[in-house]
Amino acid sequence: MVRKADLAVVGRDTPRLDGVAKLTGRAAFTDDVRLPGMLHGKIVRSHLPRARIVHIDTSAAARLPGVKAIVTRADAPHLFIGMHQPLFDATVGYIGQEVAAVAALDEATAAEAAALIRVEYEPLPAITDFEAALAEGATPLHPKAPGNIAWEQAELHGDPERAFAESVHVREDVYYTNPSHNCYAEFHVAVADFTGGRKLTVWTPSQTALLYQKALAAGFGLSDGQVRLMTLNTGGGFTGRSVVRPHHFIAALLSRKAARPVRIRAIADEEFLMCRAGGRSRYRFRSGLGRDGRLKVVEADLVFDSGAYVETQMILTRLTHSYLHLLYRVEAVRYRGRLVCTNNLPYYFHHGGGLAQMQFGWGQHVDALARDAGLDPVEFHLLNAVGKGHTTLSGSHFASCGLKECITKATRRAGWGRKYGRLPAYRGIGIGIGAMASGAKGVFRHDTSAAFIKIAEDGTMSLFTGLPDMGQSSHTAMAIIAAEVLGAQPADITVVSGDTDVDPLDVGAFTQRGTFNTGNAVIAAAGDARAQLARVAAERFGVKPAAVVFRDRQVFPKGEPGRAIALRQLVHDTLHSREGRFVMGRGFYNSPKDSGTMAYSFGAQVAEVTVDPETGFVTVERIVAAHDVGRAINPKIVEGQIDGQVFSGMSQALYEELLMEDGQMLNPSRLDYRLPRAFEMPAVEHIIVETNDPYGPFGAKEVGEGPIVCTMQAIANAVANAIGVPVQEMPLTPARVLRALAGRGEVSARTPPAPLRGRRLR
Amino acid sequence: MSLAKSLSDALQRKPVCHCLEKVVDDRGRDPSGGWLTRISGGRPAVLYSAGVGRRPPRRGSPLHLPTFDYRRPQSLAQALGWLAEFGPRAAVLAGGTDLLIALRQRLLRPELLVGIGALAELQGVQPCADGALRLGAGTPLTTLVEDPLLRVRLPALAAALQSVGSRHVRNVATLGGNLNLPTRCWYVNQGEAWRQARPPCLKTGGDVCHVIRSARECFALQSSDGAVALLALGARLELARAAAVREVALDDFYRNDGLAPTTLDAGELVTAVYVPVTPLRSTFLKIAPRTGLDYGLGTVAAAVAGSNRRVTAARIVLGSIGSWPVRLRGAERIVAEGGLEPATIEAAAEAARADLGELTNLYSTAGDKRRLARVLVRRALAALRRQPEAQAA
Repeated sequence: MVRKADLAVVGRDTPRLDGVAKLTGRAAFTDDVRLPGMLHGKIVRSHLPRARIVHIDTSAAARLPGVKAIVTRADAPHLFIGMHQPLFDATVGYIGQEVAAVAALDEATAAEAAALIRVEYEPLPAITDFEAALAEGATPLHPKAPGNIAWEQAELHGDPERAFAESVHVREDVYYTNPSHNCYAEFHVAVADFTGGRKLTVWTPSQTALLYQKALAAGFGLSDGQVRLMTLNTGGGFTGRSVVRPHHFIAALLSRKAARPVRIRAIADEEFLMCRAGGRSRYRFRSGLGRDGRLKVVEADLVFDSGAYVETQMILTRLTHSYLHLLYRVEAVRYRGRLVCTNNLPYYFHHGGGLAQMQFGWGQHVDALARDAGLDPVEFHLLNAVGKGHTTLSGSHFASCGLKECITKATRRAGWGRKYGRLPAYRGIGIGIGAMASGAKGVFRHDTSAAFIKIAEDGTMSLFTGLPDMGQSSHTAMAIIAAEVLGAQPADITVVSGDTDVDPLDVGAFTQRGTFNTGNAVIAAAGDARAQLARVAAERFGVKPAAVVFRDRQVFPKGEPGRAIALRQLVHDTLHSREGRFVMGRGFYNSPKDSGTMAYSFGAQVAEVTVDPETGFVTVERIVAAHDVGRAINPKIVEGQIDGQVFSGMSQALYEELLMEDGQMLNPSRLDYRLPRAFEMPAVEHIIVETNDPYGPFGAKEVGEGPIVCTMQAIANAVANAIGVPVQEMPLTPARVLRALAGRGEVSARTPPAPLRGRRLR
Repeated sequence: MSLAKSLSDALQRKPVCHCLEKVVDDRGRDPSGGWLTRISGGRPAVLYSAGVGRRPPRRGSPLHLPTFDYRRPQSLAQALGWLAEFGPRAAVLAGGTDLLIALRQRLLRPELLVGIGALAELQGVQPCADGALRLGAGTPLTTLVEDPLLRVRLPALAAALQSVGSRHVRNVATLGGNLNLPTRCWYVNQGEAWRQARPPCLKTGGDVCHVIRSARECFALQSSDGAVALLALGARLELARAAAVREVALDDFYRNDGLAPTTLDAGELVTAVYVPVTPLRSTFLKIAPRTGLDYGLGTVAAAVAGSNRRVTAARIVLGSIGSWPVRLRGAERIVAEGGLEPATIEAAAEAARADLGELTNLYSTAGDKRRLARVLVRRALAALRRQPEAQAA
């Protein structure tokens, strides 16, 4: 157990190590990469939602001066992206699917050549509505998806039938979420150098060099070591950058054929095609309450439009299944999740990983259940919430859990007691609660992160990790952790990362594993280096190595700070000793569990909104966010993570929707896809709850996705509280709010629920 | 003067107006290797291509502009001469905030761009002898929004122009550009590759409308915020062509036609806007999802003369709802006859729905547009009612 008072660096606000470089435009991104002889690639895309390719005529493009290579299916007949999607398929399945590509001396020539490539199609009947794809007798779209169901997961825990029979109240609700897009700060881009065909080097923004490396190696029949992945700064991840995309393969293919490096970057609406965020989804929940107001049983039937190809979207069903019953003690769970094939582009994840979107529905369903039972939702949450030591029906165990503390602190700060049911008309308050895994084993048999650290003679250090910094400030967090162990300052440490030829292995920055797994690896590496130094210091001080303290760039025997020597002196002495030791530490961390997660973060957010009943516009006035992050390594950054996720959650809840018509996006631009601006950001109050997780680095757990899980449901509940009816489809656009208001009739959830503490259901 | 010298001179000049220019040498090549955002001064251009239409237009990508020639006139007369010579093959480049997107999306393929940004004749706010304000059509919106005379005398116009784009956009976008804003439709205002997924529509050379499939007319939306306010204020436009200048009431400028939204002739240029500063109260409201950088789901401007009890004249205009800014004559009549009283405000708002005529589901449903229209009119009139009546004098 780490005591806060013992920590010198961890838990204090540390400015981002890359802050100045990013603010002054000096931080390098993939788009800055310029290689000698580099060509520019352009992709030819299908303009039909479903069609057989009859013929591709590249002759006119090939004759254009400046064109250096053209690739089509003939160049890569057996190349697959992931498991199921051929790079160039014989039949296209969505508007925007890659059909061919060209590399030329400059972008304009490449674009011109791409337009000269003639593709002859035989159109086939398409289905772009996932509910139509599920209907009896619907055209089968994919040979591996009978009934157009690409993947189905069914789970059963306990005896739902009996639990429903014993319930005194059963409620069923259906919710929808709509297609969306992550609006990355950095557009999609890849530079590939496959000259010679023996070693492939790819520069690209990524959350996980390892998975990219493996996928590219598998696709081109190389060994992992023949693929070098270079990730410079990455402008946003949101799970969308955890899987290789067609443009990575195409850049490599063009490079091999042209024997020159090739860059492909998204231009204008291509960004919306390359990204593939969430698809339209339907969530049906049915739950039963016991006589005492306790949640007994949960049943969920979830359907996700996965688009034309299923790549790794099955993670959606795996995650939503385990998160469904993570927050409450229940007796029984029945779950079914299905991925449906359609002729929409292959959807993947939006910020929130499918969980925040499910929670939009689930949080509203629970709120309604509480009202049915005559309970204040906060009472309901506190009555049913899990706590420390709980193990869920699917085996998730909570070694630390601050859920109830988050609920209590957030609602107290928000003034819940005097506001819920007592606000003026069209003003509402709502709560959302959530949990999130800090890393999850399951991609490989290991979930390993490794780290090296070397200490120069002047006491400065280089920390090598494979964890990419995609804006979450993980490099700074890792420097803080290493500095804490070695008694240094974060500014003494240079974090080296982003080159698989150099970096130690790391599964990557997804499933919120960075701080937890890589942080533990850094503790191990820094601890190894410290042990080497401690041996020398112990000899000098005449104490045991365990009694040597490293703090504030000083080293001293425990309890005798007066005998301190400078850390750099110790490093110097170690090198200039008879042994001549250069201090290098190494370490790794792998979750001891066979699968799943060591620690979960918990959180609660209270949203206060105003609804304009005439226009349907929702304004988020205030968000109070309380999050159990185990330990805040860098509190300012924790607050920044919360702010970012509140923003994205609000944005998804109220604004973001990719409007699809016959498989085509109607608003693929930042002008028409209305991502809000800073003006729309509500006031956010942060409450950091520290439960000091026994397995986390210095007790820390994740904060990269926990907050967003709470935001959408909190806002939706606040809107329902303001207008008296729920809006069961996200985003809550003015039109949807007005429709809900028009259908309100006499029902009103605004009628303040009587203070019913202890009241029993009839 | 060497090319390098003129480039460096051009880059060091003080900003008078801001526009994007392609710097080409006299053989049409681009010595800078790309596009320069050049802050140009009031001097005549030293760099422009002499030849026109020599290279075939490149398809290019949305990042690249198609090939065209660029000329910067030394006087309005010279500009009008070129516009007359090239007719529909020329386009006017002022702020360029809308034009450049249209060029990248290949919605326009002009042979010649006439850069009017530096023409002094088109700049500034001047009081006229009859008390009207003359607003130069080339004046950047920021200049207008910050003009003290305009803020006090024409608050609806100041509010409308302030709601356009973002600060960065308003710094370069001009009043004339805003009034000539092309009508928008999400089946049209997309990249060229995107549009290939559908047959061309009336606006892109085809004969179908994707908004209303059975229709043979274009329903693209007019979203000019300035137009809405200026219509309510009873503005007139000064239109110039090579040999003549004419004045037209703004009422006669817009047409309910997405394809040809104004009566501006090829070769003609909006040079100034005259706004009468009669004793008026005016207001402008915009409902848009985002604060800034957004088109309205609906906008309204209203102006009345007289007191709340005795309104002597009323003009109410809705924007971003149809293919032109709609004068709500029925609602105006109710206010003019019954004054700005709660009951007449309600009646006028109700009448607005009928005034609108046929609406489409473009960007929002017809029902939502009609509902919003009613709200906008009610709110605008209520806001006018709250304004001090003395302000009118």
